[in-house]
This record gives sequence, structure tokens and C-alpha cells, in this order.
Amino acid sequence: MNEVLLVFLYALFTAVATGFGAIPFAFVREISERVTAYSSAIAGGLMLGASFGLVAEGTVYGRGETLIGALLGVAFILVTQLLLREYDSQDLVFGAATGEGAKKMLLMVIVMTVHSFAEGVAVGVSFGGGVTLGAVITIAIALHNVPEGVAISAVLRPQGVSVARCAGWSVFSSLPQPLMAVPAFLFVETFRTALPYGLGFAAGAMVFMVLVELLPEAYEHGDRAQVATVATLSAVGMVLFQQWL
Amino acid sequence: MTLEPYSEVLLFSSLAAATAVLGIAPEAFGRAPSRAAIGWANALACGLMIGVAYVLLTEGLSGALIAGGLGTLLGVGFVRASHAAAGTGELDVDRLESSGPGDGYKAILVDALHAADEGVAIGVAMAVSMPLGIAMAATLAVHNIPEAMVLSTVLTRRGLSVPRAAVVTVAVNASQVVLAVASFGVLGFVPGALPVVAGFAVGALMYRSLVELLPESYHQAGETSIAVVTLLAMGVVVFLAGVAP
Repeated sequence: MNEVLLVFLYALFTAVATGFGAIPFAFVREISERVTAYSSAIAGGLMLGASFGLVAEGTVYGRGETLIGALLGVAFILVTQLLLREYDSQDLVFGAATGEGAKKMLLMVIVMTVHSFAEGVAVGVSFGGGVTLGAVITIAIALHNVPEGVAISAVLRPQGVSVARCAGWSVFSSLPQPLMAVPAFLFVETFRTALPYGLGFAAGAMVFMVLVELLPEAYEHGDRAQVATVATLSAVGMVLFQQWL
Repeated sequence: MTLEPYSEVLLFSSLAAATAVLGIAPEAFGRAPSRAAIGWANALACGLMIGVAYVLLTEGLSGALIAGGLGTLLGVGFVRASHAAAGTGELDVDRLESSGPGDGYKAILVDALHAADEGVAIGVAMAVSMPLGIAMAATLAVHNIPEAMVLSTVLTRRGLSVPRAAVVTVAVNASQVVLAVASFGVLGFVPGALPVVAGFAVGALMYRSLVELLPESYHQAGETSIAVVTLLAMGVVVFLAGVAP
């Protein structure tokens, strides 16, 4: 098979895997304030852990570049928040939710989708070393995407979004992976230079989202000690899972 | 001049502990820090701690993931148990202003317990490599200043004189020095324990940051500025740790 098509199909498979992250939420029947709090804590922890992985990879290519990328990621969220504030919050509709809930979901989907661009580049660049290891890398990335789908669903599901739609949005957020993997594979050297900025950007945007939206929400609705426990264990669990892959 | 490794651990952890005295500066100059400034100090301390956890996770586990995970559970469990035993689980600087004199002692106890985990973090980092350990001690030296600023504000508001408050803020860090030397010593004899001890420090530091520092700081200065300060502090640690060979 054509190598480019192979890279695209592998990366598409990793995107689809993100949808599996919605499955645990099929077992959550009642969506109470506590569910919202602990879902936010899980999402926050998983995203913090995922960012640790992105930073560790980015700093291999360039420390300063990763840091600059992270600051740009923060600036991106701040600008997006400002733009969303321009809307009258009641006008904003996302699934069944309106207002503040819709804003948060939209921001979450934007952050996770944007971060997938950097991950797609990382996939493409790592394939640049030859597609022999392709299957192994693909399975690793696909597994890594599942908890990211959990993070997205953890924010969307408590707002009343159906499990199927949670899966849909999770897959959507990963679609930039196959789209970016192919050009990155074809032009490895060019993309390798941009990679630390991209990984830093993704990490900065995700950590900022965790600190400005998810954790405050979790503290507001849940017990502080439980939120801290869930977030800490999710973050460390994600790091250990990624190191294992 | 070269020092014996133990003397180096003692020297650098003592220097880190002693910098706490700088935290008394606002009180000494008769300018009590504003509520927002205390919030930013807490966020700075929190970001540095999460950055330290990142460094320990990427440098300290050396592939022993189950041991690292076990250590994390022990770390979280240790802090939760110590909070339960000391009755300091829901201690809040905001509420301290209107509560009884016993809370002054609780604030001291919280900081002394906090310093213990930080000591373990210094010992672990020194066991990985001396330059990483020195970077860790420098990070914690900076971290001790805002922590001391918050504690000295609490103490002087309870009527303690500025010089006495200064002595207390440094003295609470004694456990940091003792545990830095002790954990470095233990790891010298049992190098295989490194992933467990590193995991312990990660669990304790992250849990403490998320249960004490972050939720308080949100109330004091608002989500956006807290997120920015926390993220910048994390970035500084990642950068500093990368400088260490």
C-alpha cells in the first residue's frame, strides 16, 4: 500500500480510538453536582498528565521553543475566552446546554482539537523514521487517545450530551491527527523544527484550561480533599500509562 | 572546594529552608500583603510544586512504573492521614482571620508537614544527580518565600512580633533539611527504592498543592490570574530542571 495512505489510515484509526473514551459514561445514570465535580477533576488530572508527556517530548527538541509555545497556548485560550465573552451567553447553544455550560464545552472541544494538531505532527515526524515501527506507534497513540476521550466526555456528559455524541466529539477532536500526520511525514525536517513550539502550545493550552475552568469547577461542586485525590491520581496515572506505552 | 555528598545535601537544603526568612519582608516593612498578593503567592508556590512533581516523574522513576504508582498512593495517603490526624483538612487562610487562636498552631503544623515532603523531594533529586538536586533546592528556596509570606501574615495577625514570626517561618522548615539528608542517605544504601520514594514525593506534593494552595488562591485572586501565575511557575521549574545536566 502507498506509504502516505498507510500513515493516514493509521492516524485515522488513532482518532477513532478517542471515541472509546465515552464508554465509561454509558454507566453513569444520574448526573448530579458530585458527578460534575469529579468528572472535572478526572478530566483536569488526565489533561495535566498528558501535558507532562507533551512537555517531556517537546523539551527533547528544544526547551526554550517549548516554553514559547506554551505561552502562545495560554495566549490562545485567553483570546478565545475573550471572543466567547463577546457573545451574549444565552445565545450560545452547544448540544442541550446554553450559556456558561455551552461556553465551557465549546472551549474544551476547541482546546482538545487544537492540541491534536501538535500530536498529529508528532505522529508524522515519528513515522518519518520509517513505517516499519508504524503499527507499534499507532497502537500506542490510539491507547493514549482513549483517556483524552474520557477527559472530553467528562466535561460534555454532565451537561446532558448523549454518550454517542460524546464519542462523536471525542473523535472530532482527534481528526487533526490524520490531517497533520501526512504532511509532517512528507516534510519531516520542516515540521521537526516546528514540533517543540506545537507541543508546548498544546501543553500550555491544556494546562491553562485545567487551571482556569476544570479545577475551579471541581472545587465549587465537590469536596476539596476528594477532588485533589482524584485529580492527583488521574494525572500521575496518565503519566505512568504514557511512560508504559 | 569539593564537599562530601552529605554536606552538599545539608548545605543546599539548609539554604533553601533559610530563604523562608525573606517571606517576612512585607510584614517587616509594615506593608501587610493584600488578599490578592497572598493568592498569587499561593499560586506561585503551587506552580513550583507541580513543576517539581513533573521533574520527579520524568527523572526519578527510571521505568519502574508500578513502584512509582505505589509510591504516589503512599504519598497521597500520607498527606490525607496527616490532615485527618491533625484536623487541618479544611484549613483556609481566609477563614483563619475570623477563627480561634488554635488555628495559628494549625497553620504552623501544615507548613511543617509540607516541608517534610519537600525535604524528600530534595533528597530524591540529589540522589538522581547533584545538579538536579541543586536545581530542586533552588526551586524550593523560591517556593519557601511565598509560603513564609502567607504564614507570617497569619502569625502577625495573631499578635506575634515580626522577629518571632521570622524565626517560626524558618523553623518550620527544619523537617525539610532533616528529611532531605535522611532520604538521600536511605537512597544511598537502597538505590532500588528511588522510584517508590520519588513517587511518594510526587503524590504528597501534588495532593498538597491541589488540596491546600490552589483552592485557597482561587478565592483570593480569581481564576485567570491564578492560572497564569501557576503556569508560569511550572514553566520556570521545567526550564531550570532542563539546565541541570
